[in-house]
Amino acid sequence: MIHNTKCECGHQNHVGTVLCESCGKPLTDEAGNEPLEMRYDGVARRSQRAKRTPLDRVWNFFSSVKIAVYLIIFTLLASAIGTIFPQEDTFINLDPATFYKDTYGWSGELYYLLGLSHTFDSWWFRMLLFMIGTSLVICSLDRVLPLYRALSKQQLRKHPSFILRQKVAFEGDLPQSGVNESTKDWDDRFADALRKKHYRVYREDGALLAEKNRFSRWGPYINHIGLIIFLLAALSRGIPGWHMNQYMEFLEGSPKAISGTNYYLLNNQFTVDFYNPDEMSEGFRQRDVAVPKVYKTDAILYECTADCRVADKQPVLRELTHQQIEVNKPLKYKDLQVFQFDYSETPELLAIKPMLTDHSTGQSYGPIDLQMDNPLPSYQAGPFTLTLKSFFPEFGLDDKGLPMTKSNKPLAPAFVFSLTGPGLPAAGSPYMYFPRQIDKVNFRQDDINGALGSRFDLSVGSMDDVKIAQYTSYLNIRVEKAMPYIWFGAAVSMIGLIMGFYWQHRRIWLRIDGARLMLGAHTNKNWFGIRKEVADALGKTGIDVDPKSLEKGRNRE
Amino acid sequence: MNFETISSSALLAAFIVYCIAFLVFVLAVAGKGWSSRDPQEHVKRWGRFAFAASVVGFACHLLFFFTRWYSAGHIPTSNMYEFMTFLAMMIMFAFIIVYLIYRTPVLGMFALPVGIIVIAYASVFPHEVQPLIPALQSYWLKIHVTTAATGEAFFAVGFAGGLMYLLRTIDFKGTSKAARREQRGAEFTLFTIVTVIAFVSVVFGFHAAGYSAQFGKQVTVKDPQGVEQTVTQKIDYVLPPLFQPYDSQLISMKPFLGMDKPPMTSPSWMKGGNAGRKFNTVVWSLLAGLILYAILRLVARRRLGEAIQPALAGIDAEDLDEISYRAIAIGYPIYTLGALIFAMIWASEAWGRFWGWDPKEDWALITWLFYAAFLHLRLSRGWQGKRSAWLAVVGFLVVMFTLIGVNLVIAGLHSYAGV
Ligand code: HEM
Repeated sequence: MIHNTKCECGHQNHVGTVLCESCGKPLTDEAGNEPLEMRYDGVARRSQRAKRTPLDRVWNFFSSVKIAVYLIIFTLLASAIGTIFPQEDTFINLDPATFYKDTYGWSGELYYLLGLSHTFDSWWFRMLLFMIGTSLVICSLDRVLPLYRALSKQQLRKHPSFILRQKVAFEGDLPQSGVNESTKDWDDRFADALRKKHYRVYREDGALLAEKNRFSRWGPYINHIGLIIFLLAALSRGIPGWHMNQYMEFLEGSPKAISGTNYYLLNNQFTVDFYNPDEMSEGFRQRDVAVPKVYKTDAILYECTADCRVADKQPVLRELTHQQIEVNKPLKYKDLQVFQFDYSETPELLAIKPMLTDHSTGQSYGPIDLQMDNPLPSYQAGPFTLTLKSFFPEFGLDDKGLPMTKSNKPLAPAFVFSLTGPGLPAAGSPYMYFPRQIDKVNFRQDDINGALGSRFDLSVGSMDDVKIAQYTSYLNIRVEKAMPYIWFGAAVSMIGLIMGFYWQHRRIWLRIDGARLMLGAHTNKNWFGIRKEVADALGKTGIDVDPKSLEKGRNRE
Repeated sequence: MNFETISSSALLAAFIVYCIAFLVFVLAVAGKGWSSRDPQEHVKRWGRFAFAASVVGFACHLLFFFTRWYSAGHIPTSNMYEFMTFLAMMIMFAFIIVYLIYRTPVLGMFALPVGIIVIAYASVFPHEVQPLIPALQSYWLKIHVTTAATGEAFFAVGFAGGLMYLLRTIDFKGTSKAARREQRGAEFTLFTIVTVIAFVSVVFGFHAAGYSAQFGKQVTVKDPQGVEQTVTQKIDYVLPPLFQPYDSQLISMKPFLGMDKPPMTSPSWMKGGNAGRKFNTVVWSLLAGLILYAILRLVARRRLGEAIQPALAGIDAEDLDEISYRAIAIGYPIYTLGALIFAMIWASEAWGRFWGWDPKEDWALITWLFYAAFLHLRLSRGWQGKRSAWLAVVGFLVVMFTLIGVNLVIAGLHSYAGV
């Protein structure tokens, strides 16, 4: 098939051109009367060329706005489906295989089996986003280049059928204003009126082109570029090391390793303040609920330099930073961020410093420093040595009546020492110690220790010698290296949106043949505005028209 | 007199002034044939008056907002009541902006009721000023909520324009399949609006009458040590219980129409006491909506759309189309900035993640995608006129679902404490 793409003005157009690139004469549908399709000024796009290689097919597929709208709608539906039940990652420590069934019944189970409980990490959701990205790139390239070409070399004198078939058009005689006005004078005044409205006016004898805000045409493309950057940044979180997210609990008092890193974090102290009743409004006070005002973790971040994660050895730590973590105010160190997530009150014994009293002499020795989390193999109290035989963080008896520990949390700690020193056998005598008074009574420490128990006493003088952790702070530890790119993409996108929506590209073509005046105007949005401007400008030069009458197809009803 | 009471009075004043402004708009548009004066002159004169009233109402609304801000010590957008009144304020703002561009009094006839209904809806929620929990103490949150609401307000005006377009152009006499479908669609939209009004009236009616009922339900909760405990959860009803929560006991109930216990129980798959209460509220709203709708139908003796249509006669449909589209086009960048970008900034400040697929975030995205599809269809596929108007109407339903439905139906991080 051979198209004749040469226009009568002599310009040779590409295949697929709708309006002659030079004079604007419609190349198809020449005899019609309807307003012209002005999208991309009627230039040919790559996707409209005749060739049909596989690349062309892919290109054509992704360059279609129809496909783009489908992709957007599919993403929309998928996102909606993803909110029917909570997603798996909303929960910490939970077995999804049973959770959905137990909580929501068969529909929950189906939801889980279809993989919808992790919609947003699914391959098909990523695929959708990826396809939107591809579509954005191809669609934008397909249009922006031809549009740029068309707008950067516009010819002033347009074909009458181009001008009159604009959506906003006017045809009439030059006003006979009594004064002997030449065509040129009218033209001047009209051009001035348009310049006052910030148009850039180009003239050539008997023809005029006024244009403003062309830059707004690039808005959608800049927006799309921003979206592409954003999408790429979002997908880049899959790169190893670019993204980390974990929730950990930190009891006050001892440093804890952050898994997957070389860092240790210490919850040095946790504090919470509640709103005073007089800070609440009358109505709310009556509800009588405690609302926390601020809670924060006094945190120290360390780097482990030696003996990291080695059993029975304390790691060697180097302090990196000491910060207060509050909600909305994370600890920041390089790429690492630590957020205050939640807290709970969990009174727990951390350390105790008892004195050893020998009733036979009345002397006290010590104190010894007993750490619940990692007790040492032996302690020295004056002439006596306490060798640790066993340690039960939460002491209990099993069904055979033998001692055991129920957990490794120091909820009911018990120590079994072997005591040696003056007046004691060299092999050592067993001595049992329950730091908590209540356990001491319940488990009958004195009876267990027998005679040794009446001679020796291990106890603290005051509460200053007891270290208790009140709170566990739940912290959220994150690394997010893609953030700068995310923000950059969002910013570019926003700039594009603002360009495209708050300004409109407007063009007015004018052609004077003798006393006959033909005017056409085009905008990509806001016809109301351009109609008014054209009518105003014409009014200033003595042609009174109702703005509405300018628009084609307006008076249909 | 303290600032909190000044603030409440200012909102009441705004509400009344808006209602007056609305009536004057109706008078301006529908009454143009009455006086012997030139109809154009009539519309212009009364339209100007109605617009001035709207601006006065808006000023009262601003007074409400700032005095409440002052008395609470933080920007009042932190619970459902505050957010909805703020949204209504921005709807009025968006209306004023769009009105200044197009100066069409009909717009007032449709946009004002949207704002008025939103205020009425807001007042169903507890009014008291609440202390801010730490997660909400961030200035990004304020920026996020206010800009998102501003964008949504423009969508609301777009909705008003779209609905006007439909009521103006739908052929209510038509019997073709397509015409029938459109008639039903428009009627359904109006019914939805009527239901919201009915819901607010019912809640107010029973509240004024001091109605209350209470149920108890045994629930197991885990304490921080992971030990399960059974506690009795109390569920307060403000509407007479037609349905009591599944598996619950009646604690107290004021008799209603001679009933002293609920006739029915909510379905068993509705877990939790609040689901039962919400279900009861939904049933009440639908019933009241149906009754109110039936009364209106009886008075109008026609479908409501058909009854409204004559008021729109002589208005250029394409203007309505343009107004609706323009409002959405103005709102879209604001919405993008507020509901997505600022939300991401806040989320990344507060939780260290800019996006977490939380239901509220997710629905904000859905709304945004919906309007993106709308803009593409309109720009590149020539969807103008009716199709575009339908999308503007549906779009606003999506917005409202995001704001209200998500909180009622799906719980997430953002859920404000509600009724
Ligand atoms: C979620 C993703 C997208 C968003 C938020 C978006 C947003 C926008 C916006 C706001 C406009 C301007 C509309 C107007 O001025 O009325 C626009 C225009 C456009 N978009 Fe998208 N877009 C998205 C995806 C796509 C995709 C995947 C394609 C690829 C086919 C595409 C193709 C276009 C085209 C061709 C235009 C018209 C540009 C013009 O004619 O000046 N968009 N887009």
